[in-house]
Amino acid sequence: MDNISIEQSERSPGVEFNFENNSFSLKGESYPEDVTAFYGPLLDSLEKHFDASNGAKISFTFDLVYFNSSTAKILMGLFDMLDEVAEKSDVTVTWNYEADDDNMEEMGEEFGEDLEKATFILNEVAIV
Amino acid sequence: MAFDVFQKEQVTIEVAKALLDSGRLPKSAIEEYTKLLKAYEKLFKSSKRLVRISDRNEAELNTVAKSLDEKNTMLEDLSGKLGKYLSPQIYDSIFSGKQHAELKTERKKLTVFFSDLKDFTSTTADLQPEDLTYLLNKYFSEMSKIALEYGATIDKFIGDAMLMFFGDPESKGVPEDARACVAMAVAMQRRMEDLGEVWRAKGYEKPFKMRIGICTGYCNVGNFGSDARMDYTIIGGEVNLAARLEGAADPGGILMSYETYALVKDMVQAEERESITMKGIRREVHAYAVTNILDGFEKERRVVHHEDEGLYLHMDIDRLKGKSKTAAKRQLKNALDKLSS
Repeated sequence: MDNISIEQSERSPGVEFNFENNSFSLKGESYPEDVTAFYGPLLDSLEKHFDASNGAKISFTFDLVYFNSSTAKILMGLFDMLDEVAEKSDVTVTWNYEADDDNMEEMGEEFGEDLEKATFILNEVAIV
Repeated sequence: MAFDVFQKEQVTIEVAKALLDSGRLPKSAIEEYTKLLKAYEKLFKSSKRLVRISDRNEAELNTVAKSLDEKNTMLEDLSGKLGKYLSPQIYDSIFSGKQHAELKTERKKLTVFFSDLKDFTSTTADLQPEDLTYLLNKYFSEMSKIALEYGATIDKFIGDAMLMFFGDPESKGVPEDARACVAMAVAMQRRMEDLGEVWRAKGYEKPFKMRIGICTGYCNVGNFGSDARMDYTIIGGEVNLAARLEGAADPGGILMSYETYALVKDMVQAEERESITMKGIRREVHAYAVTNILDGFEKERRVVHHEDEGLYLHMDIDRLKGKSKTAAKRQLKNALDKLSS
């Protein structure tokens, strides 16, 4: 599958999906005008890729500074998907939050609680 | 139990769990029922989280909006204060985005106004600093008020002198700009006469007399200076000429160049004065002094002053407002009644 690279914009996060290395990341702010149009094709490609990967070492990094409720719903679905994949692959989810950003830290904690199989890392990073 | 916005959903889950534990469900349905209950619990968790995220985001946005409001108020206050150092037209054109703060000038035909107070230095030597401050502030306030009324761009105050111009950043056309300038000059001299009477009545023996010079011609107008500190001003021979005309004007008078006079001769009567020669200008500049305002251009006097044996009358109409106006009418009527009886 071709890698996906979308530049970060004011309203949507930067996307780096490297299918070959099983390395994935979302970075920035997320409140796209049309959440379905933005995330729909991304989730489709992830689902197809994960269906065909067994025993892979998968790394997914979230570097978000703000997201709206619709994105939160998408993220919850994505976390579910990653936890399901973790049943047959080695999945590590890293949630980076900027120092002093209590909101993102709390949200990371909450999302991380949903993961039963995948490894979760909550990571404080310096403010850019 | 304390009130909880999700109380109803919580009760539904508890009832469902109790039913599952009661053993009343048929064995064939237990597996599907458990799945459904788990899905409902997950949905409930998602809903709670989404509501929390939404509330948190809203609170964050409100904090940002409040801080922006505070910053806006602070900036408005600050720009209001800074605006007092600029001519309103320049202030408006900068704040509306029509003009940029960059070193850029244009050549435009403007009508330039220059005024000065006669014998200011020698008069001030006889005045106490408090009196001088009062007189100067009153003079500048009153003149600025008239200038803004007629649409002048106030360039600067230099000591007791004032430099203004018409034609930039807004222009109604060269003839109209010249007419507005002369009409303003006439209004200013009229006000100076009124103020002179007020000041004399207050005990100032030698009230200020203002001289005005006006000319029309091409000037460079725009931002001069450096990137760090610039001044929106005009530069050109016409500025020097306006100052020279002012110097040659009668105290309380207005002296114009021929070009200005040609544009306003239907509104004022003027007499030709001695021509002016200037360094850098080869031709002689014909000068015209305003002697009379033609009908329709004379504005009503706002101060009534009369002194005679047994009578001292002084009335500043602009200062009579509300109760003091009613009281003044009553006093004048009483005086008239006494005079008639």
